[in-house]
Amino acid sequence: MHNEVASFLNSSVSGSQATAVIAELGDSTVFVDSSKILEVCKALRHSQWDFNVLQVITGCDYPDRIEVSYILASFTQNHELILKTKLPRTNPELESVVSIWKAANFQERECYDMFGVVFKNHPDLRRILCPDDWQGFPLRKDYVVQEKYLDMTVNPAHKINSGDFFFYKEIQQKMGDPKKVTFSWKGSGDDTETAEA
Amino acid sequence: MEYFLDINKEQEQLKTNLMTMNMGPQHPATHGVLRVEIKTDSEVVAQAIPHLGYLHRCMEKHCEHLDFRGVIPFCDRMDYLAAMNMEWGYCLTVEKLLGTEVPVRAQYIRTIVAEMQRIASHLMFFGTYAIDLGAFTPFLYAFQDREFILRIFEELSGARLLYNYIWLGGVWNDINDDQLQRISNWIEEMEESMKKYHALVGENKIFIERTANVGVIDKEMAFDYGATGPVLRGSGVDWDLRKTRPYGMYEKFDFNTVVGKGEKGRVGDCWDRYYVRVFEIFESLKILRQCLEGIEAGPVIGKVSKIVKPAPAEIFLRTECPRGELGYHLITDGSKKPYRLKVKSSCFTHVSMLPDIGPGQLIADFVASIGSIDIVLGEVDR
Repeated sequence: MHNEVASFLNSSVSGSQATAVIAELGDSTVFVDSSKILEVCKALRHSQWDFNVLQVITGCDYPDRIEVSYILASFTQNHELILKTKLPRTNPELESVVSIWKAANFQERECYDMFGVVFKNHPDLRRILCPDDWQGFPLRKDYVVQEKYLDMTVNPAHKINSGDFFFYKEIQQKMGDPKKVTFSWKGSGDDTETAEA
Repeated sequence: MEYFLDINKEQEQLKTNLMTMNMGPQHPATHGVLRVEIKTDSEVVAQAIPHLGYLHRCMEKHCEHLDFRGVIPFCDRMDYLAAMNMEWGYCLTVEKLLGTEVPVRAQYIRTIVAEMQRIASHLMFFGTYAIDLGAFTPFLYAFQDREFILRIFEELSGARLLYNYIWLGGVWNDINDDQLQRISNWIEEMEESMKKYHALVGENKIFIERTANVGVIDKEMAFDYGATGPVLRGSGVDWDLRKTRPYGMYEKFDFNTVVGKGEKGRVGDCWDRYYVRVFEIFESLKILRQCLEGIEAGPVIGKVSKIVKPAPAEIFLRTECPRGELGYHLITDGSKKPYRLKVKSSCFTHVSMLPDIGPGQLIADFVASIGSIDIVLGEVDR
């Protein structure tokens, strides 16, 4: 199917440079040129393939590139396709596909939030999961957690896992052996019974 | 995007100032920490903008630093009301890459726990949705029955909410005959009581008035936004991954897809989504009954090497969760950690419909609409 999609795209969208990557293990993909993504999506939506649902727009960060995946599905003909495109790591830009599927709105916002891919002509391109004033793009591989956010220290040393630490210390003092936990669920509904050390 | 109402000329003269209100993040009707910024024209919603991220833990980043087995507990914590289904989806994805054979008994147990989890999740919806609409008693009924399921899960896995029960290659712990017998007794009770509950709530005049013809999502809109699961089926589309792209053992079982028919109002209204969920409980009970008949003795976990190292590949796999389709997009690079794991959450997609459903509704109806799409914020924000 992927080879047919690629040849269909090459014939209907000039300059799309579609190539099918057939995988022995896992799912095969179709790569297209990033500048033609809007035309490619339009062609796939309104053609014999009828990809009427956009499932996911997401990225993956590599040392030299960002790969953005569009996972499309057809609920009428029951097939799915991973459409991929390569972008440079500095100033990645893509055309928005909100005009084709409204589902792209939130998906593109998430992709922008996590990878910094700018979608041109998006109606409302803001961060969606992180706060508006967050710095950096968390799912990039070279992301470093900021030290201070709004004058608050992120991950202060005295707070890391202190809850767990005190919890187990308390249990140790109370029960002697923390590995012996309550076994109330083994009994017949008696919740009060606990294993004594 | 312009979310404003089309206000015709007559109304233009009567137009008053819009008032901005924040619904949430601490609001019982938003089922978690969702904030919806609504602009109201008296009691009518003119614009609704959802603000997400209050529960964002960047699970996908965490998963890149864990080995393949360590990811499973994180899947629990995404959709904490359907933890079994979340685990199953992830395990199926990795098993497909590894080519692991899952023993038959383990597959039966997985189906049993997943279907019981689906019932628990739909019962949760049933109870909380009634609370949204002002009826408190159904909540207590629903929790009474949900308690049995949690008890069984507690015996199986040791935990009541976040299980880490389904492992790569099978399940962690075997189920015994006593538990199977209790489940089989419970199925009979549950079928009777669920009929009673539906008569109590679904056929209630006040409930119908509040939900019929409210928050209508038609077929085109559902496809446009990529809605899945009960929301899509409520809009009259016969689509269930367990039927259309079967995974696990679902090919073997005989059950029906419940589709909204617009019995009380228009197709795709809140009542239809309620109807789909409640009647899916009966279908799940049907599957459970067939599982209990077919389950056979044998091992519960297959052979998986101690260090899981799939070959470099890419895979996207969808499973049917109680709230909709869940997809795992996994990219591996040959190491023992996932290179990238993207979780396609159905709730995230459904929340994006709120700006389209909201305008033109009364605030009380908007609450009914949010409740009817049944979101879990842990899955929305991940």
